[in-house]
Amino acid sequence: MNEPGRNKNFIYHTAGVCPPEIHFRIAGETVTDVRFVGGGCPGNAELVSRLINKQPVKEILPLLDGIDCRNNTSCPQELSKALTAAMGGRLSPADSFRLATDPKPRKSIAFIGELGGNCRALKEVIKTAEKKGIEAIYCLGNLTGFDSSNRAVMQSIRKHNIRAIQGEQDWKCAQKAKAANQSSVGARDRDRLAQLPQVIRFTVAGKCGVAFFGDYLQRLPDYSDYEPFSLEMNMVCGLTDFMRDESVFPALEAMTSQFEADIIVFSQPRRWGYWLVGGRHFISLGPAMDAEQLSWGLLQATGDGLGFRIEKQR
Amino acid sequence: MAESVKVLPKDIQQMIDVYEWDMRTREGVQRFRELKAKSLPSVALDDELMYESLIPMQEELIAEIQRRYREKNQEN
Repeated sequence: MNEPGRNKNFIYHTAGVCPPEIHFRIAGETVTDVRFVGGGCPGNAELVSRLINKQPVKEILPLLDGIDCRNNTSCPQELSKALTAAMGGRLSPADSFRLATDPKPRKSIAFIGELGGNCRALKEVIKTAEKKGIEAIYCLGNLTGFDSSNRAVMQSIRKHNIRAIQGEQDWKCAQKAKAANQSSVGARDRDRLAQLPQVIRFTVAGKCGVAFFGDYLQRLPDYSDYEPFSLEMNMVCGLTDFMRDESVFPALEAMTSQFEADIIVFSQPRRWGYWLVGGRHFISLGPAMDAEQLSWGLLQATGDGLGFRIEKQR
Repeated sequence: MAESVKVLPKDIQQMIDVYEWDMRTREGVQRFRELKAKSLPSVALDDELMYESLIPMQEELIAEIQRRYREKNQEN
């Protein structure tokens, strides 16, 4: 059973309706922050969300039940199933961050840091990566920004099957935060941003890697220090201030034996850097565009192990 | 390092309160940075970083605890 008084986030995977996911939060006996993600009618979904926000689950279930839209179900019906499962303990709370795993071991990966909605930069990297036979492209965020081509960025990411994770601004934008300034991001793209993973696990040259944006993950509700790769994040973000404080590297080195990842990639500081500490590779990604120069990182298997270099294009 | 504190004689244990921070946690890292420590393991006495990387001899640790205990009791 759902423990009374506990706040927990849930993600329910629907069946037979337009939105593939419903996100919500249970606080004791009430539901908050309901969001139908990835499809359907955003206006109606928003209305439903507002009407039932902070209402006791048992009071809203009769309103949601028995509504038929398509495939013998509907968004309200799916929400009813989700809430019933969550309250009954059959739906586990969501992890505090979304972790995706690239199932294919790679020989080479192109890493893009802050894109900020610059589709031209993204297209250039795609073109070069294809030409060089690079196996995969990862975008670590922020994907969106003040540039007006946010929509084109999101389209390119889908079209070219690029593995993208949320940066902090992407996350804020997905949450519809008023502070986010990505005004050109529409409702559909905000949903797509919300569905993106926040951490990616990968394998290159037989080594396990993890890529994430930065320390906003540690401020997410329900974040735990014991989630997969939390130690790596804590050491990068908390202990070393994104590897800027080299005086604590002895402590970092002592902790690396407990790491799951051999390669740790992050992009929050918006500056390029590469460190080898305790046999682990730490990579900081700079912005994709800096003073009209396009920059991205290439991680690849080499004859004697692993190599990383920054590719620059005018 | 925590073990070296835990195995102190009973009369010394009664003079001190022992806190152990887990460096895997954000709280542990915050405490580490507050103490301006650089290496692991580290031991602080009265918020003062005393031992880093090395485990002190038990006699040395006991002498330092007793010294501080005496100082505090003289003050009071």
